[in-house]
Amino acid sequence: MSETEATLRLENVTKRFGDFTAVEDLSFNVRAGRVFGFLGPNGAGKTTTIRMIVGITGPDEGTIELFGQRMSSEMQNRLGYLPEERGLYKKMKIVDQLRYFAALKGMASADADKKIDFWLERMNLAEWKNKKTTDLSKGMQQKVQFISTVLHDPDLLILDEPFSGLDPINVEFMIEVLSEFKTQDKTVIFSTHLMETAERLCNDILLINKARKVVSGSLREVKASFGKNLVALRAVGGEAVLRDASLATKVTTHSDELEIQLAEGVSAQMLLAKLLENGAVISKFEQIEPSLNDIFIDQIGGFKES
Amino acid sequence: MRKFLAVVKHEYKKVVLKWSFLISTLLLPFLMACFAVVPAIIFSLKGEATRIVVVDPAGKVAPRLRENLSVEKMMEKAEKAMKDSLKDLNASQEEKMRQNTEVFSSGFRFVDFDSRQKTPELVRRELAQKIAAGEIDAYLLVPENFTAKDAVFEFRSRKAGDFVVSSAFEDALNEAVRSQRLADANISEEKLKELSGNVNLDKSGLNEKGEEKDSEGTWAAAFVIGLMIYITLAIYGQAIMAAVVEEKETRIAEILFSSARPFELMMGKLVGVGLAGLTQLAIWVVSAAALLSFLALQADFSRIIASIPAITPLMITYFLIFFLLGYFIYASIFALIGSMVTTVQEGGQFAFPPIMILLVGFYFSFAVIRDPNSSLSFWVSIAPFFAPITMPVRILAETPPFWQIALSIVVNAVAIAGLIWLASRVYRVGMLMYGKRATIPEVWKWIRQA
Repeated sequence: MSETEATLRLENVTKRFGDFTAVEDLSFNVRAGRVFGFLGPNGAGKTTTIRMIVGITGPDEGTIELFGQRMSSEMQNRLGYLPEERGLYKKMKIVDQLRYFAALKGMASADADKKIDFWLERMNLAEWKNKKTTDLSKGMQQKVQFISTVLHDPDLLILDEPFSGLDPINVEFMIEVLSEFKTQDKTVIFSTHLMETAERLCNDILLINKARKVVSGSLREVKASFGKNLVALRAVGGEAVLRDASLATKVTTHSDELEIQLAEGVSAQMLLAKLLENGAVISKFEQIEPSLNDIFIDQIGGFKES
Repeated sequence: MRKFLAVVKHEYKKVVLKWSFLISTLLLPFLMACFAVVPAIIFSLKGEATRIVVVDPAGKVAPRLRENLSVEKMMEKAEKAMKDSLKDLNASQEEKMRQNTEVFSSGFRFVDFDSRQKTPELVRRELAQKIAAGEIDAYLLVPENFTAKDAVFEFRSRKAGDFVVSSAFEDALNEAVRSQRLADANISEEKLKELSGNVNLDKSGLNEKGEEKDSEGTWAAAFVIGLMIYITLAIYGQAIMAAVVEEKETRIAEILFSSARPFELMMGKLVGVGLAGLTQLAIWVVSAAALLSFLALQADFSRIIASIPAITPLMITYFLIFFLLGYFIYASIFALIGSMVTTVQEGGQFAFPPIMILLVGFYFSFAVIRDPNSSLSFWVSIAPFFAPITMPVRILAETPPFWQIALSIVVNAVAIAGLIWLASRVYRVGMLMYGKRATIPEVWKWIRQA
């Protein structure tokens, strides 16, 4: 596979800590220029997987390829990683910390200084440049941490729970920055438990639970495969059609509209045709897709029962 | 390599640009300067002379007392006291005070007073009035029968609380009366000097070439070197630990590990902080050299300076080599501890054993100073953990054959390689373990894991 097709490839990756298997036989690809949502409940193995991707630890079995190559020190320069548990040096000036992180990513100092000014300006932190971490609010610190992640213009951005602790304005702002990355043909991987955000941002998703892959694919495919043939309807007339058990197995009333579970083998088009035939006046007819949240609860909940 | 250098630069700046570094760097030479220079200045100032009246009807004690309290005699005594205090590090407190007394005692000025035809009561009254009027500071009444056992010398002073003056005076008076008693026993002044003179003990040591060398001052210099290495190793070791714990506690380690190899990061930290330590030592060495050459110009101290063993550039080189060996031994131990624990306080408990080892090494240096060629001195100056303190002390006290120094360097370098290997394995895993302190079996497992 060429570099443009897959930024990241994991094949049969397994990681154990003693008797505990944190990640088991995990394989997936992340395509270039896409936003990849890495979802799963706490303790599913997300952070362990991310740590292997960024080269902090190595897998016990299987291979990880970045840009078509094995992980190396130079490769780390093309990565931007924002860990879930993040920190800054407490008593150091913001600018000095950013310079250090940039140097560790192999940036020349003149180049780094330019970028630091640019990003501090953009994040409205310019006047805090020479302040120490302890002078900054928590939200400002998070913005500084984000700057350290993107400073060296990485080709692959890996963010572990990037929105936790941010106020809604800053969340919007971050989403805007991430969208920009996407248009620059860079790849973004982020893990989150906020399904709504994931739904808004992601092109592709991977859901893992208990060290194993549960669902993966593009957001549309996943949603389609979990479609439960539900239709939302707001109409006058056509009650007879809905009573026909060969068409609708279940009808639920939600305030001013009805939720209809289609019988097996019945498409939404067939129901719509029947309703029109029967002279129903339709103000709303919508095929309901399951939300990512529904899929998440459905899949993880199902696991819990087993 | 570039990342390694970035870490070195970062860690070096982090230490050197701190206020505490500046203060400690300047404070030590300053304290040393105070220790050496201030007594010299005080001594040169001398106090105001004590004006005293001696009433001595027989006229036998006063002239001797006058001589004993003369400026020349006092100088001689003070110089001897200075030398004693440098030589004798174990002197008891009392002894110390006495020595200081002799150093600081100010001179006496004798005031004439006509006591003929006056009753003792009248003399006392007149003298008391003089003291009250501030014309004199003290008076001494020598009894007629001063050689008798129960004779009482009456000394009254405005400065009775001034133990410096009264003890110096008492010494001089005792000496004067003793001399007179001996003279009365028909022992001549010459005979007296001959009988009471000190034994002339030649205390010079011999070096390996059979050349005589002065051992005075060696003690002091070796002690200072040992103490300096001990303190810097303890301080920089713990600085490393604090820096490691900070990166772990704040979870910066995770960002760092995603940018550079853990080994590069750990070594960069050790080297960066080590260079900062070397910078500080260099400043101290230069200022010590400056201080010594300043003191050499002061006539009062030239003799003491001359007795400090000649410190050659080769010795300073050895000194820095052993500092670095010691630094890397203890810094890697402290880095290992730092990556095991979760807070600096917790690290403090674990820091106890290495600090104890360091302290034992420091204590061994006393044995080395006393007998640099004993087999104990040989072993402790070769053994890892101890050698970084004991070998420089031994080199200063009595430079051992080169092969011993080389052996010591090799042994300690091997120990460093082993310790860094251990520390890097613990560091790699420990830095990412949050929440609880690692147990020894856990650490053992990390070390064995490939």
